[in-house]
Amino acid sequence: MKHILKYFFSILLILCSLNMNSQNKKNNDTVKILPKIDRYGLRIGVDLFKLSRSVYDKNYKGLELAGDFRFSKKYYFAAEIGNENKTTNESQLNFTTKGTFLKVGFDYNTHQNWLNLENMIYIGLRFGISSFNQEINTYKVYNSNPFFNESNTIVLNQKFDGLTAQWGEVVAGIKTKVFDNVFVGFSLRGNILFSNKKPAGFDNLYIPGFNRTYDGNFGVGFNYTVSYFLPIYKKKSIPKEKIKKK
Amino acid sequence: MKKILLVFIIAMLTFSCEKDDICDASTPTTPRLIIKFYDILNPAAVKSVKDLKITSLVDGVEKAIIFDKTNIDILNDTIVALPLKINENLTKYKFIFNTKAENPSLIAEDDLTINYTRKDEFVSRACGFKTLFEMNASNQNPVILNENPGITSGNWIKDIQIIQPKIYSENETHIKIFF
Repeated sequence: MKHILKYFFSILLILCSLNMNSQNKKNNDTVKILPKIDRYGLRIGVDLFKLSRSVYDKNYKGLELAGDFRFSKKYYFAAEIGNENKTTNESQLNFTTKGTFLKVGFDYNTHQNWLNLENMIYIGLRFGISSFNQEINTYKVYNSNPFFNESNTIVLNQKFDGLTAQWGEVVAGIKTKVFDNVFVGFSLRGNILFSNKKPAGFDNLYIPGFNRTYDGNFGVGFNYTVSYFLPIYKKKSIPKEKIKKK
Repeated sequence: MKKILLVFIIAMLTFSCEKDDICDASTPTTPRLIIKFYDILNPAAVKSVKDLKITSLVDGVEKAIIFDKTNIDILNDTIVALPLKINENLTKYKFIFNTKAENPSLIAEDDLTINYTRKDEFVSRACGFKTLFEMNASNQNPVILNENPGITSGNWIKDIQIIQPKIYSENETHIKIFF
């Protein structure tokens, strides 16, 4: 898994740099840029995936609110806060995870908008924390020698409180204005677990906000948001002549 | 930017291909009781049993252990691994020595009752839990021969020694049987 991570991030870095180069070239070719009004403000939304899953999946209740605040032309403060209550049913285990999470970080918009469009194709980073509890409902004893035809399912109902986790996320996503001040967005996330307080005699197999844990501190996530933009102030960006001498 | 998204999608697929959903056979799970057979005349030397059949009552019927190596229920070896019940604190086995003998008087049978305490320990997502056993000498003999706590010598078994009361792994011998 570690190799996949290295590979993945190095590719990501290479692509980022390629992308920036190509943008510079475009700028060099631009002769005239029309004046542009940039709106700054707060965007608040909700994750539709968690919301809808709470309806169709009886083992899941969750809510995630996502917000971002544009503080410069390209950069946005970004945060997500949420709560999850998920019962995971696997062949050997059935456990319930309940807890709250908070992710803070920033997004960088790599997209050059035409005129006054406000779409985003962005990459970002988050620092995530979660406070949660785990409850083992039932478990199975793994017995590679089932000689006695005995039941190996044990009902336990043991709860572990006061668990925490910290992690980092690399985000890539898009946000599109569908109509006035209403945006629809989708983001994919690669998560790396920095630390987590494990229950004694069990493990954090699911962490609210981080999602399923894998061997090697990995996780993945995504969200699908609908958000509303509250404009606070406007800035008229004066087009700069970015022509560089070669 | 589209390329970055593509890489993300490929990464996602790689993640989903990772199989930590199957309990790997090399992962230590519920251990079996490891018994080694020794020569009573030369207690330092292991000795192969002769046509040993080991049975236990399963759902009211005597069922024979099928041994790993030979895939049959007859053992001619110096070591055996026996599963213990994970829902009860005792397991009984019948040890039938020389079971292929034509003359029935040469077949010798001894019963072994193993008393223990259990605890379940978390292994992993795919494997779930494992049960660990400990042969406790609190108020009863951990190993009872022929239902008689007072004896250590039976019809073919001459002595029993508990080497490791904690049955946590299959990598060590727990009981020595001398014959």
